[in-house]
Amino acid sequence: MAVKPNRSKPSRLKPSTFVRLKLRITANGLRGSTSRVVLFVVGILFGIGGAVGGFFLLALPGFLDDTRVAGIMLPLAGTGLLLGWLLLPLIFFGVDESLDPARFALLPLSRRTLITGLFAAATLGIPAIATLLASGGVVLSAALLGGPGAALAQLVGVILGLLLFVAVSRAVTSAFATALRSRRARDLATVLLAVTAALLGPLQLGLLAGAERADWDRVAQVADVIAWTPLGAAYSLGTDVAEGRAWAVPVKILIVVVSIVALLAWWSSTVERAMLGTAASGQRAVKAGGSRSAVARLMVRGLPQNRFGALMSREVRYWWRETRRRASLITLGVVGVFLPVTMSVNGGGSGFTVLFIGALASISLANQFGFEGNAYAANVVAGVPGRTEVQSRAAAFSLFVVPLLILIATVVSVTAGHPEDLASRLGTLLAAYGIGLGVVLPVSVRGAYALPSTSNPFAMSSGAGPAKGLLAMGVLLAAVVGTVPMLVAAWLLDDGVWRWAGLPIGLIYGGAAYLIGSRLAGNLLDRRMPELLSAITPE
Amino acid sequence: MTVPLQRTPENDVAMSLRGLVKRFDTKLAVTGVDLDVPAGSFFGLLGPNGAGKTTTLSMAVGLLRPDAGRATILGYDVWADPAAAKARLGVLPDGARLFDRLNGAELLAYNGLLREMAPDVVDQRARELLDVLELGVDNRTLVVDYSAGMKKKIGLACALLHGPRLLVLDEPFEAVDPVSAALIRDILQRYVSGGGTVVFSSHVMEVVEKLCDHVAILAEGRIRVGGTLAEVRGERSLEDVFVQVVGGRTATGSELAWL
Repeated sequence: MAVKPNRSKPSRLKPSTFVRLKLRITANGLRGSTSRVVLFVVGILFGIGGAVGGFFLLALPGFLDDTRVAGIMLPLAGTGLLLGWLLLPLIFFGVDESLDPARFALLPLSRRTLITGLFAAATLGIPAIATLLASGGVVLSAALLGGPGAALAQLVGVILGLLLFVAVSRAVTSAFATALRSRRARDLATVLLAVTAALLGPLQLGLLAGAERADWDRVAQVADVIAWTPLGAAYSLGTDVAEGRAWAVPVKILIVVVSIVALLAWWSSTVERAMLGTAASGQRAVKAGGSRSAVARLMVRGLPQNRFGALMSREVRYWWRETRRRASLITLGVVGVFLPVTMSVNGGGSGFTVLFIGALASISLANQFGFEGNAYAANVVAGVPGRTEVQSRAAAFSLFVVPLLILIATVVSVTAGHPEDLASRLGTLLAAYGIGLGVVLPVSVRGAYALPSTSNPFAMSSGAGPAKGLLAMGVLLAAVVGTVPMLVAAWLLDDGVWRWAGLPIGLIYGGAAYLIGSRLAGNLLDRRMPELLSAITPE
Repeated sequence: MTVPLQRTPENDVAMSLRGLVKRFDTKLAVTGVDLDVPAGSFFGLLGPNGAGKTTTLSMAVGLLRPDAGRATILGYDVWADPAAAKARLGVLPDGARLFDRLNGAELLAYNGLLREMAPDVVDQRARELLDVLELGVDNRTLVVDYSAGMKKKIGLACALLHGPRLLVLDEPFEAVDPVSAALIRDILQRYVSGGGTVVFSSHVMEVVEKLCDHVAILAEGRIRVGGTLAEVRGERSLEDVFVQVVGGRTATGSELAWL
């Protein structure tokens, strides 16, 4: 008997199918797990908080009844939101890859159907809804300033703006992921992309710092220019109508729509490469290496040939060979060097920024056990003691981070014109990093979660993912707060004294925090090894 | 420290499970497993998909905490004295990824040093294992790019490296080509004839019938039948016994008429 072909013409798949699929996946992910529901609710609460705060902030120009404030503030707010959508996924949250494009590779879908569907599903999420609600403030401003016409124009602008944000975040993370994926080509292109992406933030901050010192007319000029770029166009439609420039509305809509289409086309091309990538990988010729002994090949030169050394060497290899880890390392390097430099060039508070970078470095370990999935079973079976496990991981990461911190301290001190502050600045950095480790290590044992096994280094699982990102933010905050005594000490002590005392004080302060945290984490791990293993095993 | 149980030569038990229970979010996966694996035996744990084989073996080797029950390895309690039990145990977990961003030699060196072996011993054994298992002593390919059969073989090498007295293998022949399977069988038989004990799970009757001297059939979270192969099989084929115990359905021919 032959299988009868299904002759009914396949109906064109609508974006709503993808949206329903995503909702279903999110709901199923929450089923039967109280902790995940709690995290999801926490995520929603943060979303509501952000939405309400943003709403009133953006409605401010309307309440003030001042079109000049609106003309300055709203385009800049649009730019800020856009940069947030661009940078936050790269640094903290990752993108929700519950609909992994690679899973659709075998289905007979046209690229257009797939991209529209994925895009529609991507606009449905806590961050997107929160952004939309907050942007209601812009519409309110427009209504108060220019009546219903302005409100209507701004409503269109806000919706287009949201689509633009989502498109930017998808296109950039996908391109970044594609570039970082090939294990061989971790080359100039990757670093350049990382530099560009990470530079946008500092540049913006620099611009704002410059704006603070400049008079408002110059800021207004900048805002006027931004309002004509895709960055701020969508958020200036209402103001345009209110100020009698209704002719600008269609032009700006065109600007935004063209940007969205261009971004989607870019996304589409990288998605296709990602889909082909999963099918084509794994075909690799057998490579012959030198006939060095097995132990010599594993060990990083100079480490002891024992359990601790082996754990550390494996971690060091993983930070460079595993895509997700390499991505976070590169991002950290770029942000770490450029953010404080831009700040100090602009004369801003580089002290606090430096401290922030030290703490930021540590949160790369927030889900350190999730990176390699249940391969960790090998360490459980071998019975590695918790403290050895935790401390070897921290030591391996520090092999990358400490040189970076030294570099940052040097560059910042030199560009700020105070090379004599090098030692004390390094002390502050190390203190922040040590405190960050002290907080993050227990969190990494208790709050570990499984990462989806896709090749996109920015992929997060749905549902609990954003809330776990908040956990990392919490660690960051705790580390920054914990380092404030260093700043107080620097302020209280005489400059001359602080210059030589800063480094030892920082070392002792950070070192003590690290020792307490790693011991706590080690003991916790000894009690929870099997539980940790189930937490990081992908379903 | 628990004191090892008194041993008598004829009653030597390599692995003993008593009343193991595991409940997941919504369902009871293992509902009270009792199992004794005699030392020096080649033991096959049979069961259909989803019977609880992986859950049972994970609890037996210390990868998954049981809700109730005890597991002892060569007299040492896995959950009360994990260090002593784990030192005598080699495990090939199913579906668990290896540290696959290392190459074969690096992975073996890592596992050896993790078990606190001397570096020169690790080097020598790693070289032998890579050679015998035909993985290539100088092969620099990362394990992530290995074929399924090669992954099983390097996993087996990791489990054997420290010379354990008991090997627990979850689905060692899954997705392995006949040539590699024959090689793995050969090595396991040599290991048992040298005094080691092997416990492995499978749902392939031919392999179990060919290799094992003891079998147990696990279905719906409980051991249904257990004993020597001859006892369990009787006059029939192992497959008949298995299907009868598990209670499979046979197709009547009226469904799937469109095929």
